[in-house]
Amino acid sequence: MEPMIQMTGVHKEFKVVNRREGVRGSILDLFSRDYQILHAVNNVTLNIMPGEMVGYLGPNGAGKSTTIKMMTGILEPTSGEILVNKRVPYKNRTRNAQDIGVVFGQRTQLWWALPVIESFKILKEIYRIPDLEYKDNLEYYDALVGAGSLYHKTVREMSLGQRTLCDILAAFLHNPGVVFMDEPTIGLDVSMKGKIRQLVGSLNERKGTTVILTTHDMGDVDALCKRIVIIDKGKMIYDNDIEHLQQYFGAYRTMKIQFCRKTEELENKVLEKQAKEVEKWLLEKFPLAKSTAVSVEDKWIQILLNEDEIRMMQAVNCIQDNRRIMDMNLQEITTESVIRKIYEGEAG
Amino acid sequence: MDQEKKTLGFYAHIYKMILLQDLKSKMSYRADFIISTIGMLFTNISGFVAFWILFQSFPDIKGWNYYEMLFLYGFSMLAMTPVQCFFDNNWNLSRALRTGDFIKYCFRPVNLFFYFISEVFDVKGLGQFAFGIGTVIYAWNKLALPLTFANIAWLIIGVLSASLFMIALMNFAAATGFWLIGATSVMIFMFKFKDYARYPVTIFNRAFQFVFTFLIPIGFMAYYPSLYLIRPEHLSVLTYLTPFFGVLFFYLSYRFWMRGAKQYTGTGS
Repeated sequence: MEPMIQMTGVHKEFKVVNRREGVRGSILDLFSRDYQILHAVNNVTLNIMPGEMVGYLGPNGAGKSTTIKMMTGILEPTSGEILVNKRVPYKNRTRNAQDIGVVFGQRTQLWWALPVIESFKILKEIYRIPDLEYKDNLEYYDALVGAGSLYHKTVREMSLGQRTLCDILAAFLHNPGVVFMDEPTIGLDVSMKGKIRQLVGSLNERKGTTVILTTHDMGDVDALCKRIVIIDKGKMIYDNDIEHLQQYFGAYRTMKIQFCRKTEELENKVLEKQAKEVEKWLLEKFPLAKSTAVSVEDKWIQILLNEDEIRMMQAVNCIQDNRRIMDMNLQEITTESVIRKIYEGEAG
Repeated sequence: MDQEKKTLGFYAHIYKMILLQDLKSKMSYRADFIISTIGMLFTNISGFVAFWILFQSFPDIKGWNYYEMLFLYGFSMLAMTPVQCFFDNNWNLSRALRTGDFIKYCFRPVNLFFYFISEVFDVKGLGQFAFGIGTVIYAWNKLALPLTFANIAWLIIGVLSASLFMIALMNFAAATGFWLIGATSVMIFMFKFKDYARYPVTIFNRAFQFVFTFLIPIGFMAYYPSLYLIRPEHLSVLTYLTPFFGVLFFYLSYRFWMRGAKQYTGTGS
């Protein structure tokens, strides 16, 4: 089988002017020849097969967007080769656009003032989707997420979650070979995140669409992707199974709690005393959980747990037995923390 | 099937769909619709009042009488209608570029300029159109212009060609946003020139005559095409060139816009 996306030794450089300080400096910059070359993407080689769902991760400024822009034909690589669906994307942007779908977490591509169904009708014409295919998709969408109830709402009346949902449906409407998703669950609550992940999973499975997912939320990746590619400072630092990656983030969870309503008025000393107590309770009850660490951060008591040693709910119950918890939240595992761990792992 | 070329018919069909839907949704926000129409009405009325007061003190300006000037005024209003109705989204370009939202227009298999511009249709321009028609008819009667087929045909061709100049001017101004941060002020600056379009180019000094004919060609927005109707004895060769220059100028602005879009790489997200 031919790969859907084929990148061979891809480089992308940007020229950046070395900026000088002050008014005089900025005037000089206008005529400056003093450039610096920025390697946004550095020798990336990657093959993605049809139907694969790949998590494409990296911190801000790592070169994620640049890679996606090259794959979608908006940017031309400085050197190296890219083929998407056997075509060079930047050589014919409009032709390439016919075969891809794109979703941005917080930027809707639907017509703001129109009911969703009208947006879909316009997309049907733009992509020249055959009637049968279009009808099939609408019926499937309705069965999958009850999209029928949303069709007659205008985009501006929708919640962020509903909008994201419709944007995803729109991206799959013309049955593209590849769909690129840029942080599709950003800003959504937990239940909506779950719904979106389920939807993307089902669409990928039914249509066999290749999906490239960039995100900062390990939860998305964990739920959807078998394969993870991580890029940092333009270089690929990881390309492997999700299971392999789990050793870096798998069992660790961070939980934050507060015992009082107005903790921002409390002095750090008081909070630190509380943190000490929490640590004591946990260690007394779970002496084997050696990785447990309690600290104070931003007026929250922060507890790091290894779930292989102690279950999250056990810890919550133990603390609750001793003192009433007023507020708590679970930290998402960010890709940044995973990358940090990968580097630490290499160093160790 | 997807290999076939996207024709003008294809684009007209898509545009019609977007336009009809957009109108439908605008009608449902009735208060907004009425208030903006009233606002447009007042802007136009105040423009007329200023014009009328001016002519209370001067019977004519360099040999141009009140009704001839009124005709130019009305003509320029008609020529402004297309840019206001159909090309209003240019005003949002600068912001879309700054926030990175522009990137979302790059993924559709249609012409980028078309896709961006088609997103917004502004109804307010229609009020201006009605004003323009009324003014032109009134001045036409007062000047006792002959109502021949040639005159009517030229009025239509003239207005359409004249409108291309303002569209092109705004395309140029908006497209500077692909390189500059402050493109909106460039647009505001350019848009102000529409106020000079309603005067005969000959009342300006020679330097401005040159500027308004060849650099910022607002002379073509009313004066040159109108000569055919109101001063047929003083025809300029530029009058006949209006349609060609209009198309050329529009085409250049389109190329400039597209070139900007092509080198645009979006802000990081």
